[in-house]
Amino acid sequence: MKKIVLSTALLAGVLSYAGGFRVSLQGVKQLAMAHTSAHAEDASVTFFNPAGMSFIPSRLSIVAGGFGAGNKVTFQNLNTLQSTETDNPIGTPIYAAVAYKATDKLSVGFSFTTPFGSTIEWPENWEGRELVQRLELKSYYFQPMVSYRFNDWLAFGASYIYAKGNVNWDKAVTQFGGRVNLDSKASGHGYGFGFYFRPDPKLDVSIAYRSPVDMKAKDGTATFTFPQSSVYSLLGVDASGKDAFTATLPLVEEYTIGLTYKVTPKWLVSADFNYHGWSRYTQLTLDFAKAPVGNQADPTVSVSPKNFRNSKTFRLGTQYAFTDMIYGRLGAYYDESPYSGNHFIPETPSFNTYVVTGGVGFKLKQFGVDVAGGYAMPQAREVNNTAIGFSGQAKATAFYLGLGLSYNPF
Amino acid sequence: MKKFIISTFAVSALLFTTGCEDEFDTDVNDVVVTSGEANFSRYVALGNSLTSGYRDGALYISGQNESYPNMISSQMKLAGGGTFKQPLMPNDTGGFTNLFNPVTGEFSGKYVLSLVNGSLSPGATAPGAALDNISSGGPYQNMGVPGAKVFHLLAPGYGNPAGLNPANPTANPYFVRFASSVTTSVVADALIQDPTFISLWIGNNDVLGYASSGGDGSNPITPVDGTLGVGFTTTYTYLVNTLFPSGTTRKGIIANIPNVTSVPYFTRVPAMPLTNLTDAQVNQLNTAYATYNAGLAQAKSLGAIGDAEYQRRMIKFTAGAVANGAVIVDKDLTTAGTLPKYRQTTAKDYILLPASRVLTPQAGGGTSVPLGDKLVLTEAEAAKVATATTAFNNTIKSVATAKNLAFVDMNAKMEELNSKSGIVWDGVKYSATFVSGGAFSLDGIHLTGRGYAIIANEFIKTINGKYKSTLPQVNPNTYSGVTFP
Repeated sequence: MKKIVLSTALLAGVLSYAGGFRVSLQGVKQLAMAHTSAHAEDASVTFFNPAGMSFIPSRLSIVAGGFGAGNKVTFQNLNTLQSTETDNPIGTPIYAAVAYKATDKLSVGFSFTTPFGSTIEWPENWEGRELVQRLELKSYYFQPMVSYRFNDWLAFGASYIYAKGNVNWDKAVTQFGGRVNLDSKASGHGYGFGFYFRPDPKLDVSIAYRSPVDMKAKDGTATFTFPQSSVYSLLGVDASGKDAFTATLPLVEEYTIGLTYKVTPKWLVSADFNYHGWSRYTQLTLDFAKAPVGNQADPTVSVSPKNFRNSKTFRLGTQYAFTDMIYGRLGAYYDESPYSGNHFIPETPSFNTYVVTGGVGFKLKQFGVDVAGGYAMPQAREVNNTAIGFSGQAKATAFYLGLGLSYNPF
Repeated sequence: MKKFIISTFAVSALLFTTGCEDEFDTDVNDVVVTSGEANFSRYVALGNSLTSGYRDGALYISGQNESYPNMISSQMKLAGGGTFKQPLMPNDTGGFTNLFNPVTGEFSGKYVLSLVNGSLSPGATAPGAALDNISSGGPYQNMGVPGAKVFHLLAPGYGNPAGLNPANPTANPYFVRFASSVTTSVVADALIQDPTFISLWIGNNDVLGYASSGGDGSNPITPVDGTLGVGFTTTYTYLVNTLFPSGTTRKGIIANIPNVTSVPYFTRVPAMPLTNLTDAQVNQLNTAYATYNAGLAQAKSLGAIGDAEYQRRMIKFTAGAVANGAVIVDKDLTTAGTLPKYRQTTAKDYILLPASRVLTPQAGGGTSVPLGDKLVLTEAEAAKVATATTAFNNTIKSVATAKNLAFVDMNAKMEELNSKSGIVWDGVKYSATFVSGGAFSLDGIHLTGRGYAIIANEFIKTINGKYKSTLPQVNPNTYSGVTFP
């Protein structure tokens, strides 16, 4: 039996991009079950719902985990018959969390995650080089939180989010045969809260909200590189080609409702629905200090329409306890792209995606080890973004592997 | 339980695979390019400077390599296209030392940008070499001849060096270079190659020559009506009938002509170019023109000119952020004694690109020194240009229809380029803005390699649409734009 579960997990692989640049990889155990949320077994529930802390069986729980996420995007232009593949590095989302029951009623916790991020690397001379050659987005969420348990079946929790991140964007400036690098740190604030219900010992219900975080890049550096020196003075920058810029990138809100039902003492099934507020990302405004590379009345301001739309994710997962030490998990989910083909952008390519997941967990007294994998099937799509003159077809492949550890000493 | 897990996995796998379209229907790497009903084995391009690859005020090698016919022919080679030889210039500068006119700048080398007082300024370079002759290397498939009008393509002796007399030219040095004989015509040299496919983009110079000389009379608009070699309709129709005689299997594409006043040569300089004049300047100018204005008042009181013309001719400058028209000589104004024919430009006039050299406080152009006739296309002259362009394009369209040829609406494409949104390709925006727009070269009339690629794609799309071929388009962003110093 062990062998079969293991091989199933390996077969399944894992991939779990949630539309846009949201990366749904904040719990290895959860990923194995389609990244569903109503699992209050240990501190990994903190990111999904602070209120879940109140239902963790042990008084102190510590978890940590990491993933390898690989993907490849292919774009083909039907007009010119050009075809381009990305050469993206393996992404490594990580998380760690601790939850502690200070009193019977009150729990405190802390969660560290990397819920948004993306590194896309197109060939330097590909046809969309004016839009992006390489884009690296990183975010780190630091969330202190509390949860209050009203009674046997209800808890409420809330968290404060401090987010840090950085963006590093290489683009060509083909008119001058040069390129520009945009590099900035950014930070922002947000909050989250949720209710966790256990109306019946067999049923867990998790309802949670996580606010948007507007990541403000206040001291970005734009570095222009041109083969001809006259261009620097045209742009009003000195010979180092450096200019300052500011921008705001929204990390969007998420509504989640999830439930877990224990069909038998050994077998549970979970389902989740997520709603992502991507419509917040209507445009990206880059405000340069000096360089007149914009497209607005103020020539230093560049506005690119993004026109994302809210998206949904449907998740279904299951776990079977073979013994009280070995657990097998499977899942599948469907994740909507946050934009139509008319708004496809190659710097954050996104697809309607089916994902199958699987994994296995081991418990040794207070220690737990979980592995998970996911294999994604992004749906090939038509692309016709007239605002940037970018049209053709896009497809992708992706997978995820994760390793998680938990420690529940008392 | 084992069975359960396996079957769950199998069911979900089935669900996913049936609902899944994670591969392309057609991978472009597997696409076979076809010629459809056309035969691209012998393609010949006919036209003027735009066809030759002329840009930056000259014809030179790297520009010729980015001519739109060269781009089209390289795509045709994917579908049975043959050799496409261009009459390359002897250097990458252009111009002819023995024909160069230092006064007019005719046959100079290409314009280049240089930094003058911190801003970029285009200027001509010295011509690269004397007129050469490469006819022994022919035949050539790009037969675009800079400066050619419709009737020139049919004219015998257009390649005869004896006809290069500047006073009364009957030949064109660009054709002299590669004409197969002194008596041949462009069309004859094309037809002797028995082309299977011809592109023809001609007629621009029949109106552009007038417009770019400010309608000063040195280069009149070709009349719509008239006999062969005189009237546009008859000559154009005859030209196309000669290239595509009845019963021929030859296929081809013809293009109409853009409204020339949408290109930077006519739009770069604002129609009312003088702003931020100081009170002192305004006082000085208004005082200087007081005598002229008094003369106008007198002419009006004598009935020599009406009130409307009086108002139109009054010279008055205003200080501050107001845009003032430039003072110009307008030959269409009424003759009233010895009064000069001055007026200030309005938003409906076009001040030509070369005027930017004299529209400076030092030169006093448009203020103390009225702009000459050849520097301004007046409202009345522009109307003649528009009327002629419409008439020519009606002819071109109806001939294309009658001969069942592919027809490409280059006028519409240029209007799109000239629109606020421009043309965007893979994130690069092209517009008709001088220098920074990316599409027009430094002469303000001809295109850059990138602009010519946009043209090439219009031809390719139209060819594919008409003849069911599948030629791929080119990527404009891979060609050169304006070169910066």
